[in-house]
Amino acid sequence: MKESLMDILCDPLDKSDLELEVDERDDDEILEGRLIGTETGEVYPIEDGIPNLLPPDMRDD
Amino acid sequence: MSDEKNRKETTTRDSLAERRGVETHVYQPAEDSGLLAKAAVEHAHGRTLEVGTGSGWVAAKVAAETDADVVASDLNPHACEQAKARADELQAERKDGFDVVRADLFSPFVDGAFDTVLFNPPYLPTDPDNEWSDWMEVALSGGESGRELIDPFVDDVGRVLADGGQALLLVSSLSGYDEVVERAEDQGFDVDVVAEESYPFETLSILRLRL
Repeated sequence: MKESLMDILCDPLDKSDLELEVDERDDDEILEGRLIGTETGEVYPIEDGIPNLLPPDMRDD
Repeated sequence: MSDEKNRKETTTRDSLAERRGVETHVYQPAEDSGLLAKAAVEHAHGRTLEVGTGSGWVAAKVAAETDADVVASDLNPHACEQAKARADELQAERKDGFDVVRADLFSPFVDGAFDTVLFNPPYLPTDPDNEWSDWMEVALSGGESGRELIDPFVDDVGRVLADGGQALLLVSSLSGYDEVVERAEDQGFDVDVVAEESYPFETLSILRLRL
């Protein structure tokens, strides 16, 4: 995902802001890292450039 | 499971597979995708979301052929991977990629985020006794009415649309055209048809919803 995506993403649980933590990037593409709910503390992983923003109860794979 | 139930389930599944091609995890582009892409290339503008992108084929067409800034989402992890591979390919070829997000409809998107939202929903009416529970069913089945995913889309898309925004929604005669238009009008949308094609089994329309 590109960092500019942060402008339109929010925590699916309560629509509050997300904080981005980056482990690996390639130019402006964020490959690995996580998005963290500033209110809920929920951690949403970014893997292979795809943020998984399913609420925790739907993340069963 | 009884033999009879098993047989019915197999029949349903095979007939859907026959009509829709035989990928097991991710819906591949078909007539409905082509019609949505055509309408989207003509009308999409600004920040654009494709919900339920599947293989990412429509999102890629819009990213490549318009100035829209495209985001594609899907519930299915296999679909997200295929769409992301397509996005990376497009990015490498012509610096015109798109972002892929795994999401349930609009839940991780802020209010007013998009100028255009595209959706080719799962719309085949399905007997609840004949469900087979895999990703292809999620991609095809619209529940008993055919509108199980269309209804929440119509109810919630207004929240993520910016001022002057629009949704382009594919509707099949199989899942009830009038019911979808009525629901959209009840939500306060102006509805018009921007593309339509008829096939032996169904008529497909692209509805444009504007607030």
